[in-house]
Amino acid sequence: MSPSNVLPRAVARFLLLPIGMIAVALFVKGLSSTGDGFVAGTVAALGIVLQDVVFGHREAERLLPVRRAPLVAAVGLGLGLAIAFAPLLFGDPVLTHLPPAEEKVTKLGTLELATSVAFDAAVFLTVFGVVVGIVRELAWAAEREDEE
Amino acid sequence: MEPQTRTEPDERAPFVVSDSAARRRDGAGAEAGPLGPFPPAAALAATLAALAFAAILYAWLRGGGSIDLPWAPTLGLRLHFRLDALGALYALLATGIGAAVFLYSGRYLRLHLASDGRPARDERSFYAFMLLFAVSMVGLATAQDLLLLFVFWDLTAIASYFLIGFDRHETASWSGALMALLVTGITAVALLVGSVILFVAHGTFSLPEIIAHARPGTTLTVAAALIAVAGLAKSAQVPFHFWLPNAMVAPTPVSAYLHSAAMVAAGVLLIGRTYPLLAQSQLVLDGMLVVGLASMLTGGLIALTRERLKQVLAYSTVAQYGYMVALYGLGGAAGAVGGAFFVAAHALAKSALFMVSGAVTQASDGEERLGRLGGRWRTMPIVAVAGALAAAALAGLPLTVGFFKDELLFKAALKRGPLVTALVAAGPVLTLAYIGRFWGRIFLGRPRQAPTGPGSPPATLVAPIAVLALLSLAFGLWIAPLESLAGAVGSVSLAGKPAGISLAYYLDARATNLIALGVYALGGLLLATYRHWLPVAQGFARVALRFGPERAYVSSLRQANRLSSALHRVEVRDLRRRVAWVLVPCGVLVAAGLLATPTVGQYAIGKLGVGDAPLAILLALAAAAALAATVPRSQLVLVLVLSASGYSLAAVFALFGAPDVALVAVLVETLFALLFVAVFSLLPDDVLRREQSLSVSHSRRWRDPLVGVVSGFFALAVVWGTLSSPVPSDRRVAERLIDLAPAAHGKDVVTAILSDFRALDTLAEVTVLVIALAGVAGALTRRRSR
Repeated sequence: MSPSNVLPRAVARFLLLPIGMIAVALFVKGLSSTGDGFVAGTVAALGIVLQDVVFGHREAERLLPVRRAPLVAAVGLGLGLAIAFAPLLFGDPVLTHLPPAEEKVTKLGTLELATSVAFDAAVFLTVFGVVVGIVRELAWAAEREDEE
Repeated sequence: MEPQTRTEPDERAPFVVSDSAARRRDGAGAEAGPLGPFPPAAALAATLAALAFAAILYAWLRGGGSIDLPWAPTLGLRLHFRLDALGALYALLATGIGAAVFLYSGRYLRLHLASDGRPARDERSFYAFMLLFAVSMVGLATAQDLLLLFVFWDLTAIASYFLIGFDRHETASWSGALMALLVTGITAVALLVGSVILFVAHGTFSLPEIIAHARPGTTLTVAAALIAVAGLAKSAQVPFHFWLPNAMVAPTPVSAYLHSAAMVAAGVLLIGRTYPLLAQSQLVLDGMLVVGLASMLTGGLIALTRERLKQVLAYSTVAQYGYMVALYGLGGAAGAVGGAFFVAAHALAKSALFMVSGAVTQASDGEERLGRLGGRWRTMPIVAVAGALAAAALAGLPLTVGFFKDELLFKAALKRGPLVTALVAAGPVLTLAYIGRFWGRIFLGRPRQAPTGPGSPPATLVAPIAVLALLSLAFGLWIAPLESLAGAVGSVSLAGKPAGISLAYYLDARATNLIALGVYALGGLLLATYRHWLPVAQGFARVALRFGPERAYVSSLRQANRLSSALHRVEVRDLRRRVAWVLVPCGVLVAAGLLATPTVGQYAIGKLGVGDAPLAILLALAAAAALAATVPRSQLVLVLVLSASGYSLAAVFALFGAPDVALVAVLVETLFALLFVAVFSLLPDDVLRREQSLSVSHSRRWRDPLVGVVSGFFALAVVWGTLSSPVPSDRRVAERLIDLAPAAHGKDVVTAILSDFRALDTLAEVTVLVIALAGVAGALTRRRSR
């Protein structure tokens, strides 16, 4: 490890938690102010990509479970599709959200328990998984290229 | 290429083993030999199919039922299924014959894979696609909505592509699969167009509603003809029949299922389902009669001359579906009931015959030419008897279910006069001759070549054949169940009118009996004098194959390839040229639009105050960065300059009070810069350096700026014009969305739009993202393996 690497490593390590927190905040506050699942997912993914860039993808993979990124994307898409098509079972059109308009929403702190929030979470997971997954694929491909 | 292999598509015999394959087979056969445990995947698939069969039968006996889910009511889209008689018949065929074929596949596929030196786990995709096919068939049989019908229609085509091309290492295999996909897929567009015509005319895709409202006329005739074309191509009718013989490269269980009872039956299913529409146009009916008769005679004549077992059966299928199409074309109660009855009778017999061919080939170490078989009744007596029953059913002999299918055919034809009757009767004559030759050459006489291979097939290959053959016999003796089902199907096709057809053996000199006797006599005569007229049939087959529609298919495929590579040369090879091909036509179109509309007073220049200074500075920065992007030669610098422009624009959004947009813009710019850098790191350094040091060619020095200026100017003209006179309705839409946001439990309108108002769009975009991930992974992995 060259000395010039120490500072970026420390900073990257140190920033991981705040970035994650910002992502969660952007998601939770999404319905009342700036931010939504897409933005939050991208921010969180950029936090991971930062580790990739600084530590190299091999070490980043050792530190974090990034190998599961495609799975996260698949789970997100599955959740989104499930929320979209579940209303069909009750005879409602696709993507009918609950609770209906004008009705009270149960709150858990500032988090509102509504299916639209769950849908947003699905978007979060998918975007996060796809961005991390693509960057990881590119990193591995670049390494293979170097080997040849 | 010698003519024999040319006229008879080189079908890959599943068990023809070359020396190296034989050696592999010894190794692989030891663990996957006939004595291993029965494959669990096959057992599971067969059980599932049998359970589905029982469930459908139970539901049908309880009076059917329907499911109607309006999944997007504002667009008029419904998931509407109904288990009526027509649906029940085809769903029972798909699941019942499916169960028999799955049972048969268990052993067969293991042997097939072992002879190719492939691992046994390859069978998983086979069962997955077979099940997908069975599910699509049931969906197709019960769908009551034209769009839904179209979706299942194409699903069957896709599943069949993977099943026919199961031996993916063989060229013939995937070219046969592609042919089936293209022929049935392209003609499926005719079904879609016909459906859209009906939708425009009646405002709904729902079949029962369209049938209730449709009146004869040119619109209906065109739509009906288009739908009929799709059905005829799927049922392998002249001139689309050539895909079926080429699809015989599929493993035998696939043929026993798809090419006897399912894929080809789908075409007749569509005709039966839309028959109340088709029957309103005499033109369409006559067309179907002609096509059916042509297929009947062409298929029958060529089947007489084929050497390979599955080729005989393929052309026989073309001919037999010709009967059904002709029956529907003849029309009336006898036609509608006959078409349905025929499907069931034929499916039982033909499926069994395909499985006979597979069992014989398997037991004879890959031999599949009629000329080299013979005398096989000694080694496989049960298969011989079951095969005889199935062949008798196909030929329409009494005491089998086939007798009634021919009786209905003659009954329908007699109403159209002697000429049609004579032509129609020629079909069964040919059938008797070619199926008699097929059976006799396999099982009778002396073995023309000393039998090699195991000699007798395993019991799980024989049992399904025996069951189907016995059913052919049982329904011939006890016709009532099939008669009532076919009668009910006929009344669906006749839009609810009862069909009133009764079937029984009458021992008197009625016309249909006399025709049947004549057919047996002539067919027997043909069979006895086989050698004398064979050259005639061979001559016909040679001409038909050489100048047939397959030629047109091949040449049009070649032309399409040529066009595609020409386009590729022009458009895709050079990225700059490709961008120019998009931008310049856009600019020209906009210019045409501008010239055609009045522009006076459309362009306003706003006022710039002191408070706007930050905005102006940011915009100037963005513009400067855009201009600067034309200068650098290094790719990395270029990326940074471009993101500078993007970040400046993001700041502009922030100033305009659109924090959401600004946030997204910043994140996307960051991501793109990172991705660009990552992609550049994939390219070899010397390529990047070479690109940097290339001097700009003379033509590009003028062309590129010109393209940029032209497209930029017209983009400016449009944006400026739009901003000068904002459309009031846009503002109203925005205000409405803001008003509605609280109702969606959101104070932030952007999130409400994303996750509620336009959630379907979001879902589609998210799906595209996941597909992109899969694409990136696939593209990069392929690079590695190369």
